[in-house]
Amino acid sequence: MFHVELLVVGLIQGCMYAMMALGLTLVYGLLRILHVAHAGLFTLGAYVGVLTANAGLPIGAAALLAIAAAAAAGPLLYHVVYKPLLDKPPHVALIASIGVLIAMTDGFRLLFGPYGIPFQENPWFVTGWSFGGVFLNAIQIALAIAAIVLIGGFAVFATRSRMGVAWRATVTDPAMAMTFGVDPGKVRNLAFAIASGLAAAAGVLVGLLNNLVEPGMGNIVAYKGLAIIVLGGLGNVPGTLVASLILGAAESFGTIYLDALLDRDAIAFVVLIIVLMWRPHGLLVRAR
Amino acid sequence: MRVRVIRRAAIGAIAALALAGSALAQEPIRIGFHVPLTGFAAGDGNSALLGAELAVEQINAEGGVLDRPLELVVYDDQAAAEQAVPIANRLLGEGVEAVISGSYSAPTRAAAGVFQKESIPYISAYAIHPDITRAGDHVFRTSFMGEVQGRAGAKLVGDIMDKQRVVLITLNNDFGQSLAQGFKEAADQFGIEIVNEYSYGLKDRQFGSIVASVKRDDPEAIYASGYFFTAGPLVSQLRAGGVQAPIIGQEGYDTQQFIDIAASAAEGVIITTSLDRDTEDEAMRAFIEQFEEKAGFPADMVAATTNTAVHVMADAIRRAGEVDPQKIRDALAATEDLPTATGHITFNELGEIRKTVQAQVVRDGAYHRYAVIDDPELLAPPSQ
Repeated sequence: MFHVELLVVGLIQGCMYAMMALGLTLVYGLLRILHVAHAGLFTLGAYVGVLTANAGLPIGAAALLAIAAAAAAGPLLYHVVYKPLLDKPPHVALIASIGVLIAMTDGFRLLFGPYGIPFQENPWFVTGWSFGGVFLNAIQIALAIAAIVLIGGFAVFATRSRMGVAWRATVTDPAMAMTFGVDPGKVRNLAFAIASGLAAAAGVLVGLLNNLVEPGMGNIVAYKGLAIIVLGGLGNVPGTLVASLILGAAESFGTIYLDALLDRDAIAFVVLIIVLMWRPHGLLVRAR
Repeated sequence: MRVRVIRRAAIGAIAALALAGSALAQEPIRIGFHVPLTGFAAGDGNSALLGAELAVEQINAEGGVLDRPLELVVYDDQAAAEQAVPIANRLLGEGVEAVISGSYSAPTRAAAGVFQKESIPYISAYAIHPDITRAGDHVFRTSFMGEVQGRAGAKLVGDIMDKQRVVLITLNNDFGQSLAQGFKEAADQFGIEIVNEYSYGLKDRQFGSIVASVKRDDPEAIYASGYFFTAGPLVSQLRAGGVQAPIIGQEGYDTQQFIDIAASAAEGVIITTSLDRDTEDEAMRAFIEQFEEKAGFPADMVAATTNTAVHVMADAIRRAGEVDPQKIRDALAATEDLPTATGHITFNELGEIRKTVQAQVVRDGAYHRYAVIDDPELLAPPSQ
């Protein structure tokens, strides 16, 4: 029972990683940019969520507002920071991205204070149910459901809708896609909007789960996210999802059993090293 | 031409005299102060700075020290050891002759070595790692060593609360590890059986697997170390996960923010600390009231001990009679029974304090007195 509980808890954590990593993979697949500043949008979502919820909005509305705010901020970030750097070597965009993350983190600290903001009313937090001995609270369940719905929704969008197909075409071969009349600008805006919206959703849920929104809360996921997308095969969406869940589970067990050896955050990177030694192109990618 | 030169010289001379005159009367005594104002520890750093500033205001309102106003030379060390050493060197370069650390253990440990080497008196306000005072005879500490507080925790849990089966949840840095060390040292003495120990990192906020493990262990009490931004989520998640056992924390929990974050989960949490909200002591009461007025939020332990550190330094300078590092150091060592916001301060040979430990409990959303742990033998800090 205990091990089942560890697994379940780990998978739920993995769902959170999946929501973050999907956005990173979207951006990488499209632009070959390691979008570290993604974590800043995660935190932005969390702040918008907590501030509107504390101002009286019901949590659902606050979450939607957070997603909308990030979905607007993401493409803006692309236009202001990444677009001018597209013709430069890739490390330039990476450095700019790290700079944006640092600026956003300290910006939140300057605007909203260093102590972090708790949710004044967090009813989901104290409600929970037992599933055959495994106790989960409403937020953990919401996290799992949100991940499944949002990522599933994205999968449907990517395969069935015109825009989704256009996006996949642009990832595979931008020049060819353009000859078919796909507008790369629109595709990029959409990619950033979706990625940032997912990050914001994850941010609000994590903020609720911890009952704390802090300026640095994105930092934990920022670099782990990079490890996850490499593990999943850069640009490979199913691989990223699998990698996220595996990592969540690995951390959950590792926290208890590898405690004496490894810091929990180190597990991500150790797993990364081991898997890459065995399958250098990522978990689900066949070597070309 | 000559008249103009003479006039300019005269104006220059008068100005110089005026400046010199005012400088002689007003030249402040500068105390170095490093504190985390940015980075993960910015919350505690902010409180520490406010506590120190309040002390400076309190001291200057009563005429300052040796007829001179007190002034803090503040630097942000981001709670990082690699920032603390350059800052220490910069303070030395600026000719500062006494320094207080308002920061965590890692940077304080690093800076202590620098100041000891240059024979500058240095007080650690709340950094608890034992090696800090071992840097030498110029280093003092106005809060409990981690081990001392850990031992007090063991007495609290095993003796006062009469719980035997205990699980430890330890923050894996200097702070958490020294607390756990002290607790384990004294555990046998109070009949405590440590069923299991789990550790977590400073950046962790998700404790799902630890909560599951604690539920399986089913202890009578949980001794968990952390700061408000880790303890808040940890305590909430333990309670949300259905763990009912009493949770005992330490001074890292001692802020209003902990209570805000953990909300209803904070009720009943007991901590060992230096700040007694229900105190009748005048100096403590004055601090609690003045701090809340200045900061706009209730006092926390970090602010209180930093306030104490500044008062202790000022008192030592007064007794030294002049701003001379060696004299200040000797005066610090001779500090006896000085009333401050966190109790009466007396240093031992190592520069550690001997004091009772306050145990506070969260009731109705605020800290209140739970017990006082007074066991001079148990709480005696090492003397070398």
